[in-house]
Amino acid sequence: MWQIGPLAFAAPWLLLALPALPLLWWLLRVSPPAPRAQAFPAILLLRDLPPTEETPHRTPWWLLLLRLAAAALLICGLARPVWQPQTGGGGSGPLLVAIDNGWAAAPDWPARAATAAAALEAAGREGRRVALLPTAAPETGEPLAASALMPAEDARARLAALRPRAWAPDRAAALAALNAFRAANPGAFATLYLADGLEHAAEGDAFSPLATALAVAGPLTVARAEARPARILPPPRAEADRLVVRALQAPLGAPTEATVLARTGDGRAIASATLAFAPGAGSAEAALDLPIEIRNQVVRLDLEPEAGAAGTVLLDERFRRRPVGLSAAVETSADAPLTGDLYYLERALGPYAEIRRGTPETLLGRRLAVMILADREVPEGREREALTRWVEQGGMLIRFAGPRLAERPDPLLPVALRAGERALGGALSWDRPQTLAPFPEASPFAGLVPPAEVTVERQVLAEPSPRLSERSWARLADGTPLVTEIARGQGRIVLFHVTANAEWSNLPLSGLFVDMLRRLVALSAGVQGAEGEAPLAPLEMLDGFGRLGPAPPAAAPIPANRVEETVASPRHPPGWYGTPGHAEETAWRRALNLSAHLPAPRAAAAPPAGSRLETIGGVPAERDLGPWLLAMALLLLAADLVVSLAQRGLIGKQWSRPAGAAALALLLAAAPARAQDQDAAAANATRLAYVVTGDAQVDEISRMGLLGLSDFVNRRTAAGLAEPHPVVPGRDDLSFYPLLYWPVLAEAPQPDAAAAAALNTFMRNGGIILLDTRDEGSGEGMNPGSRAALRLVTRDLAVPPLAPVPEDHVLKRAFYLLQDLPGRFSGGQVWVARDQDRANDSVSPVIIGGHDWAAAWAIDSRGNNPYATIPGGARQRILAYRFGVNLVMYALTGNYKGDQVHVPAILERLGN
Amino acid sequence: MTIPPVSVPWAESLGAALPPLVVQAERVAATVMQGVHGRRRPGQGDAFWQFRPYVVGDAAARVDWRQSAKSDRLFVRETEWEAAQTVALWSQRGAGMDWRSDRDLPAKRFRAELLLLAVAALLFRGGERVRLFGLPRAFAGRGALSALAEALPRQAAAAEDARIPRHARAVLVGDFLAPLEETRNAVAALAARSVRGHLVQVLDPAEETLPFTGRIRFEGLGTAEHALVPRVEGVRALYEERLARHRDGLAAIAAASGWSFATHRTDQPPEAALLALYRRLAPE
Repeated sequence: MWQIGPLAFAAPWLLLALPALPLLWWLLRVSPPAPRAQAFPAILLLRDLPPTEETPHRTPWWLLLLRLAAAALLICGLARPVWQPQTGGGGSGPLLVAIDNGWAAAPDWPARAATAAAALEAAGREGRRVALLPTAAPETGEPLAASALMPAEDARARLAALRPRAWAPDRAAALAALNAFRAANPGAFATLYLADGLEHAAEGDAFSPLATALAVAGPLTVARAEARPARILPPPRAEADRLVVRALQAPLGAPTEATVLARTGDGRAIASATLAFAPGAGSAEAALDLPIEIRNQVVRLDLEPEAGAAGTVLLDERFRRRPVGLSAAVETSADAPLTGDLYYLERALGPYAEIRRGTPETLLGRRLAVMILADREVPEGREREALTRWVEQGGMLIRFAGPRLAERPDPLLPVALRAGERALGGALSWDRPQTLAPFPEASPFAGLVPPAEVTVERQVLAEPSPRLSERSWARLADGTPLVTEIARGQGRIVLFHVTANAEWSNLPLSGLFVDMLRRLVALSAGVQGAEGEAPLAPLEMLDGFGRLGPAPPAAAPIPANRVEETVASPRHPPGWYGTPGHAEETAWRRALNLSAHLPAPRAAAAPPAGSRLETIGGVPAERDLGPWLLAMALLLLAADLVVSLAQRGLIGKQWSRPAGAAALALLLAAAPARAQDQDAAAANATRLAYVVTGDAQVDEISRMGLLGLSDFVNRRTAAGLAEPHPVVPGRDDLSFYPLLYWPVLAEAPQPDAAAAAALNTFMRNGGIILLDTRDEGSGEGMNPGSRAALRLVTRDLAVPPLAPVPEDHVLKRAFYLLQDLPGRFSGGQVWVARDQDRANDSVSPVIIGGHDWAAAWAIDSRGNNPYATIPGGARQRILAYRFGVNLVMYALTGNYKGDQVHVPAILERLGN
Repeated sequence: MTIPPVSVPWAESLGAALPPLVVQAERVAATVMQGVHGRRRPGQGDAFWQFRPYVVGDAAARVDWRQSAKSDRLFVRETEWEAAQTVALWSQRGAGMDWRSDRDLPAKRFRAELLLLAVAALLFRGGERVRLFGLPRAFAGRGALSALAEALPRQAAAAEDARIPRHARAVLVGDFLAPLEETRNAVAALAARSVRGHLVQVLDPAEETLPFTGRIRFEGLGTAEHALVPRVEGVRALYEERLARHRDGLAAIAAASGWSFATHRTDQPPEAALLALYRRLAPE
């Protein structure tokens, strides 16, 4: 190794060849280049020419310089120059590269890998042997072990295969592996430790013992990434109408920010929340305010910019649409419209929760978040035991009062009830029906405003007790509790002191009822109950970067009821667990999140005294210049070859022309940029297009016509059309345009194969072509021969069988109701596809007519209509525009207006 | 000079080139035809020559009754004497003749055959018989031109043919860059049988001016011979002098046998050479 400034040579003795370059110069100077060969018939006359003055033919100086440069580059390249070489791990002897490859290493893994690779490169140059020691357990489930000492090249392959794991590094195990390594390799060795700077043990200090053991074995270099906070995102808290996300980080001096992205199953980010970490704060909170329907689509939360398994939370059904069980005392009458016990509950909860019906025992056979019993007593026995057990496991039981409950209260109630009910505002009572008092602050209903018209006529009353008020979530204006609750085990029981139908109060008729139920369901702890011991197989696992992939072989199933307490490990990597075969059915998936059991990140202890510190990513990577120099030398030699061939006449005039043509072709290759520009513009906005005919006047009419139509459509409808484009089928991409206007000229040529294929694809994919022969209603005089041209033009197109536009065709009622479809001319026949083709929503791919519509739609630069309508009148032009609007609507929306055809039949059926 | 074996593609390309060659030859010949006349004496032939008074012994069939009816005397119609002469043609072939210095110029062989066919076309119109060296039969009549064109590849490599009739005429077209001895022998052999003829030397402009520069290895065509010239500019004058000497030698060979000698360059129009050649062939 021989170094000049930042440049070093690995094989410097080769540079001794550089002084030999002048010799090469001399050799090249004295030996003339090979003569040019020339065939010549009169060779006889050139035989035995006397020697004329022999001016030695010299190699031109620039060619000489070229060859010398090539030789110099070759020598320098073979001397293996390295720009800014790394010094490697320091010390001498074998090198141990220890790498923290847990979740915290994932965000800047490329930089870490590059640092390690640079150290391996340096070790390879110095001929040192290398061993790797990752500190996170391998995903095969085998115990942690250091690799054997091996040449640096082999270690580089191992390093390239190393990935950050989706679990925490185990430094205690790494220490054991280190001890085993030292036992196998007794000599001293230098160590490069790429540490992630975090303490992963829940308590105590696992970093120092490992670092000290490494320092004892030889010189230690600790490489750390500075000023990069390691963050984790624990599972969010589900509140009434939002998800509260909270991220943890090792406290930093400066304020930082992070973003949480809510993603759907197909990877779309549909919401984001920004977390602001105050200086010195270890956590930050933010809320994702999402309507429940949207929230149900969220499958994962990602912490940005922290890509990694610890910044990813998979949301299973516990965060989603909750299963709610409904049960009434008398199932037969529970559904009766307006009077049934469950009628209002079903309608209130239907949009937001999955509703199940049945007796409590059958309902508890499956997992359930909320159970609602409407005026149903729970008799002693198996049913009550099952319900009690379920509530204590975390279920939420909501009960509604009623005549039966008032008769026979049972223990599954938040408060003791007085027998019988209280009637307000009845015929024999002086009391007025009571309104609701504002909700107390501690209640989950806080923030809802009870409408004044909600009144309660009857209720069951609670026995007074000291804790009654704190158990009341809602009260009447006179202070009697309306909703009470009590926590039982991990779950809770909620009692509405009124019925679930409108018999006792008009609360179920109000929107407040819906809001209250929604908040209660959101409050439930999630799905509880019958999970059992059934093993959930690993379906899709997160890797260290937070990407989902197939499960590694070592991943083992988890019993369903133990997913919660399972800590992510090689045996149970974070990811989706479920029953194979039901992978699509998200209700059967459970998520195991790495961050659920991670301790809050805290910085690791300082490295032992005497160790060298290095920064990851701060130092520019070393660069091997050898291949580049050799490649340049090869290029120069190739140029020299070309020059030599040209000098010998082997590349003569006949080659210079194709070469020039090739260069020109390269230059012209930039020409298609125009088409791409148009494509980019076409993709950015909806716009109409017309087929370029080659006749400048007709094309200008088409342009003005579509411009006028687009303008009209923009003014009258919600559609927004940009300026129309001219297109040439076969050259331009047609897939951006909903509608092609194609004026057919008498001299129109048959479209070539590429154009026909493009047009057929366009029609097959739902595009509409409006073919205009521009002669209808005016005799053959205006555009003679266009019928023959139409036949010619459409010969290769897949035009379906045609029929005149029927009276009830969507084209006549897509936006305006039209009798006929006039353009500049009127009275002709317009043809559309005869058969209904389900493939494209029964939309006709071609519309053929001759009304010269573009001329009727055309507006010039001053906004006037330059072409008169025939027979004329403002009415005809308006109708022409209306046809245009209908056409655009037909092209944009297809046949949905066609459903109107069925309206009479539907009305008739409803009437019966 | 050895002849390259006739390969099928080469023959095909030649065949494809022939009809245009024939047409071009006809066109060139047409420009030369005017003003050239026949024998200018009565004899056997088709063209009218003169009326002369009937003398006893003339066949009654020869009396021109239309002319006789204009007066009291009988007239006999005499036609011009058109004696057919045999002209033997030869164009040089070989790799050297297929050479051209620039792709815009015709190959020397193409020009030589064009001249030869054009002469033949003129001769056919004049009623002469044409034969090629090395072919047994003579061609005659106006339709014979394309037959002649097709027979061109079969002609002898050297201008030697013992079957040429005495007192025939001969036209030899080629570059005659071979040693002078070969040409002299051929001409002498023909002249010994009272054949009079013409030598037309067709050369590429590059062969006259040697326009190359620099260090060039010249390679002969059809021979393995080559010459390395360190600086072509330096030998250009010497080359031109040698070429002039060679031409003088050819002219001397022709003059010694009473033949004529003309030169032609492929960058010049063929009509001039053809006219000169035809004037030599035409009876004095």
